[in-house]
Amino acid sequence: MNERLTLLKHRMKAGEHWTLRQAQPIDLLPECENEGLSFPRRVARLVHKQCEAEGVVIAPEEKIVFTRTVPGVPPIYSPKDWSSMTAGRTLHELGPVSNICADWELLLSQGLLGRRKVAVTTRARMADDSCAIDFLDSAIETIDAVLGLAARYEKQAGLLGKQDIASILESVPAHPARNFREALQSLRLCQAVVWLGGNYHVGLGRFDQYMWPFLRSDLEAGLLTIPDAEELLAEFFIALNKDSDLYPGVQQGDNGQTLSLGGVKPDGSSAVNDLTRMVLRVSADLELIDPKINLRISSQTDLELLCLASELTRKGLGFPQYSNDDVVIPGLVAHGYDLEDARDYVVAACWEFIIPGRGMEIVNFGAVSFPAAVDQAIREGLAGGMEFDGILSRTAENIRTQVNDLGNAYSRLLLPPAPYYSVFMRGCLEEGHDLSQGLKYNNLGIHGAGSANAADALAAVKQFVFDEHTLSADELVAALQANFNGFEPLRQKLAEYGPKIGCNDDRADALLCTLFDAFAAACEDYGRTPWGGIVRPGTGSAMYYIWLARGHKGMREPVVGATAEGRVRGEPFSANLAPSPGVRVRGPISTLQSFSKIDYLRICNGGPITMELSDSVFRDPESIRKVAMLVRIFAQLGCQQLQLNSLNAETLLDAKAHPEKYKNLIVRVWGWSGYFCELAPEYQDHIIARSLYQLE
Amino acid sequence: MTSGIVFDIKEFAVHDGPGVRTTVFLKGCPLACMWCHNPEGQSIQPQVIRSLSGERVAGREFSAKDLASLLNEQATILRTNDGGITFSGGEPLFQAEFVAEVIDHLDGLHVLLDTCGYGPQQDFLLLLARSNLIFFDLKLIDAEAHRHYTGCDNDLILNNLQLLSDSGKPFIIRVPLVPGVTDTDENLAGIANTVAKLPGLIEVDLLPYNRAAGSKYEYAGMKFMPEYDEARPLNINMQIFERAGLKVKLA
Repeated sequence: MNERLTLLKHRMKAGEHWTLRQAQPIDLLPECENEGLSFPRRVARLVHKQCEAEGVVIAPEEKIVFTRTVPGVPPIYSPKDWSSMTAGRTLHELGPVSNICADWELLLSQGLLGRRKVAVTTRARMADDSCAIDFLDSAIETIDAVLGLAARYEKQAGLLGKQDIASILESVPAHPARNFREALQSLRLCQAVVWLGGNYHVGLGRFDQYMWPFLRSDLEAGLLTIPDAEELLAEFFIALNKDSDLYPGVQQGDNGQTLSLGGVKPDGSSAVNDLTRMVLRVSADLELIDPKINLRISSQTDLELLCLASELTRKGLGFPQYSNDDVVIPGLVAHGYDLEDARDYVVAACWEFIIPGRGMEIVNFGAVSFPAAVDQAIREGLAGGMEFDGILSRTAENIRTQVNDLGNAYSRLLLPPAPYYSVFMRGCLEEGHDLSQGLKYNNLGIHGAGSANAADALAAVKQFVFDEHTLSADELVAALQANFNGFEPLRQKLAEYGPKIGCNDDRADALLCTLFDAFAAACEDYGRTPWGGIVRPGTGSAMYYIWLARGHKGMREPVVGATAEGRVRGEPFSANLAPSPGVRVRGPISTLQSFSKIDYLRICNGGPITMELSDSVFRDPESIRKVAMLVRIFAQLGCQQLQLNSLNAETLLDAKAHPEKYKNLIVRVWGWSGYFCELAPEYQDHIIARSLYQLE
Repeated sequence: MTSGIVFDIKEFAVHDGPGVRTTVFLKGCPLACMWCHNPEGQSIQPQVIRSLSGERVAGREFSAKDLASLLNEQATILRTNDGGITFSGGEPLFQAEFVAEVIDHLDGLHVLLDTCGYGPQQDFLLLLARSNLIFFDLKLIDAEAHRHYTGCDNDLILNNLQLLSDSGKPFIIRVPLVPGVTDTDENLAGIANTVAKLPGLIEVDLLPYNRAAGSKYEYAGMKFMPEYDEARPLNINMQIFERAGLKVKLA
C-alpha cells in the first residue's frame, strides 16, 4: 500500500469525514404532505432532496470522490399516516427494500442518461397508464437528482484545479463508463445514493464480471498498469467503508456491502479473470470489513485461486465465503430459475443466493426454529408415551406450522416503492413498473436455524430412550423441565455420549436430513405466495442462534429452554451449519461429510458451513495450500457453502478485556464481518467459545 | 485380530506431513522425555483429561480392522489431496503389530511413520516396510545425556537409524530444540555428523521448544518437572547442518 492509500485508510478509520456530517437530517415531510404526493413520488422526492442536501467533499488525496454528509434518512409520512398505512400489514425489517442486488452493468453500459432515455420512451408509450407514469416520473426525478449532484462535484473539482476528476464527472454517471476509473467512480456515486434513499444491504454483485471489460481494455491499451489499477481498486474499497456507521443492521458491520467473484459465465465457462485475483489480493492487503467477499467455486476450481483466497482467510476477516456452483446452480434451477440466470447468481448480504437485476426476493424473511420444533415434540411426545416416529411426525408438523406462519406474514407484506433502485433493475424502466411491484423472481427465503442442536437432541433421544433403553422418558422430561438442575450426570451423558453432527455419524446425520426434508416439504407444499413466488428453505441461522436461546423483542419464535442434547437454558445454538457448540467432533473433514448429506437441490436459500481454524494453521505457504485443499474437499463432497475463519483464542480474550488495544480486530459474526469491539457481549462470547473449542 | 490403544485421531493435521492427512496418536511410549508435549501419550492406560473445554477420556481401544475402516471412510479425500495417514504418539513402535495390521487394512493410503526410533529391530522393520515416509526423531547423541533426559539408552535408536538408511526409504530427521539440553552446538554437531552421510535423508527439521507443553500435564493429572530453564533463548544454529551439506528447516 503506498503513502496515499495509507493516508486514505487512516483517515477513513479515524472517521475524519464524520466531522463533515450535517447535524440534522433534512425535513421533507411538509412538502410531501402539502403537495399530496403519492408513495412513489415521496420516495423520489426523498432521493432528490437528499442529493440536493449533500455537501461536496473532495479531499486533496482522492481520485474517486463522494463522501456522505447527510446523516440520516428522514420520514416521508407522518407517524399517524404511516401507522394507518401499515395497519395489518407486515414490514420486512425496517420497511424499505433491502438485501437485493442491482444489475450494475445497466449503469456502466448505458449511463444515467441512457437509462433516462429508456424511461422517457416508455413514458410516451404508456401515457394512458397513470401508475406507470407515476413510477417513470419518479424514476426520472431521481436520475436528474443524481446528475445534479454529480454536476456539483464536477464544478467543485474544476474550481479546485482537479481537472482529472472534473472530466471524469463530466462523463459519468451521465454517460456509459469508458474506462476502469470512470466505472469505479460511476458505481461509487450511484450505489451510495441507493443508501441515501433509505434502501440498505445494497449488494455490489458480480464485480469481477461487469468491471473486467473496462480494466482489460485499459490494460491492453496501456492506459493503466496493474499497480495503478490496484491502487484505484483499493481506494474504491476504502470508500465503501466510510459510512458503515450509518448503515442499519442487527449489529454494526452487518451492512451487506458484499460482492461476488468467480463462478461461471452464462454459457457455463469459467468466469475467473485477472480482476478476480486482484480483488482477493487488494482485499487481503487492506484488511477492512467492506466489501465482504464471496467466491464462487466448484470441484474443478484451480488450486492456485483457492490458495490466493486462503491468503485472504488468513487475515482473519472471515471472508471470502465460498459457494459451490456444482450445487447452487442445479438447486436454483430446481427452484424454477432459468439456467442462464442461475449461472449469474450472487450472494446477498449474508449467504442467500439472488440474481442481480432480476430478483425482488425477500430471502431473509425469518427463520424456522428447529430447536423449538424438536423440543416441543420431544417433551410432548415423551410425556404422552409416543414412539420415536411419532416424535418425528410431530416435529415435521411443527416445522410446517412455522413455515405457514411465516408465509402468511409474508402475504401481508407492504413493500415500499424504490424508483431510484428500479433504474438498475431489468425491465422496470422498460415496462413502467417499480421493483416493489415484482421482478422476474419474487421468491421468499426462510432460514433454518439451530439445525445441529435439533438433530443432536433427536439423536440423543433415539439412542438412549428408544434404542438402548438406558434413559426413561419420564426422567428426561423431568430433567428438561428442571433445566438439568439435579440431573448433571444425565446432562453429561447426553452432551458427551450422544451421536453428534460433525462426526460423519449417520445416527445423527440422518436426523439432520430428516429435519431439512421436512422443512423442504413444508415449503414445497406452501405453494405460490401472493407475489407469485415460491418459498425457499435455507440452512442459515442469522442472529437466531442467540435470539432463540435468549429471547428478543423482534422475534415471533419462542425461546427454547433446556434441550435434550444436554444444553442448558440460555446457551446459544449452533450458528448456521456448525456442530452444536461445545461438541468435540472428529474434525473438519468429518464435519464437511456430515453436512454434505443435506439435499441441497431442495434446500437452496443458502447458509454456510461455519468453521474456525486456529491461526497457527496458516503459518507457511505449504499449510495455506492445505487450507486451499480443504476448500476443494468442501466442493468435491458436494457441500453448498463454506465460511472459514482464522481465530486465536488468546487474542479474543484479551480484546474483550482490553478493547482499546484491539480497534482493528475483525471477526466473522453470522454472515458478515465486523469489528470485534463493536459487538454486543453475547456475540463476543459466542466467538470466543468457538475459538476455545478449536484450541484443544 | 490385534487391538490397540489410541489417544487421539486428528483430521487435517497440517503439520504432520505432506498433503491432507489424518494423524493417529498411539498411546504409550518407551521414552519419558522431560519436555514431552504429549504427556497423555506416555502411558498406555486410558486417562482423564480435564481442560478448559471440559472433561474427556484420552485412550480408546480399537481393533485394527475397526480403526482401518474408520480411516478408510476418507481414503478418497486423502488420496486426491496428496495426503494419507500419519502414525504418531506416544510411540507407534510401542504397538508395532497393531499398527502394522491397521496399515495392512488401509485402502492404499500413503503412510507416514513418526517415530522416536526406540524399539526392537523386528518391530521397526515391521513398520518400516509398510511406510512411505519416516519422521525419525534424534534428540541427544551423548548416551548418558539421553538416558538422563529420556529415561532410555539411545543405542537402539541409532541402530534403527542405520536400518532406516539401509532400507533406502525417504526420511526426515526431526530434532526437538530444548533450551540448554538438545540445542547446544555440541549436540547439534553430533547429530549433523551422525546423519550427514545417510542416503534417503531428505532434510533435517528443527522443532523449536513449545512452552505450552507444560500446561497439558496438569490437564492429564501429571507433574511437569523440567530440569532446564524454559525461558532461556533457543540456540537455533542451522549453519551446523548447512556446513555438513544438509538441508535444514525450522518447523
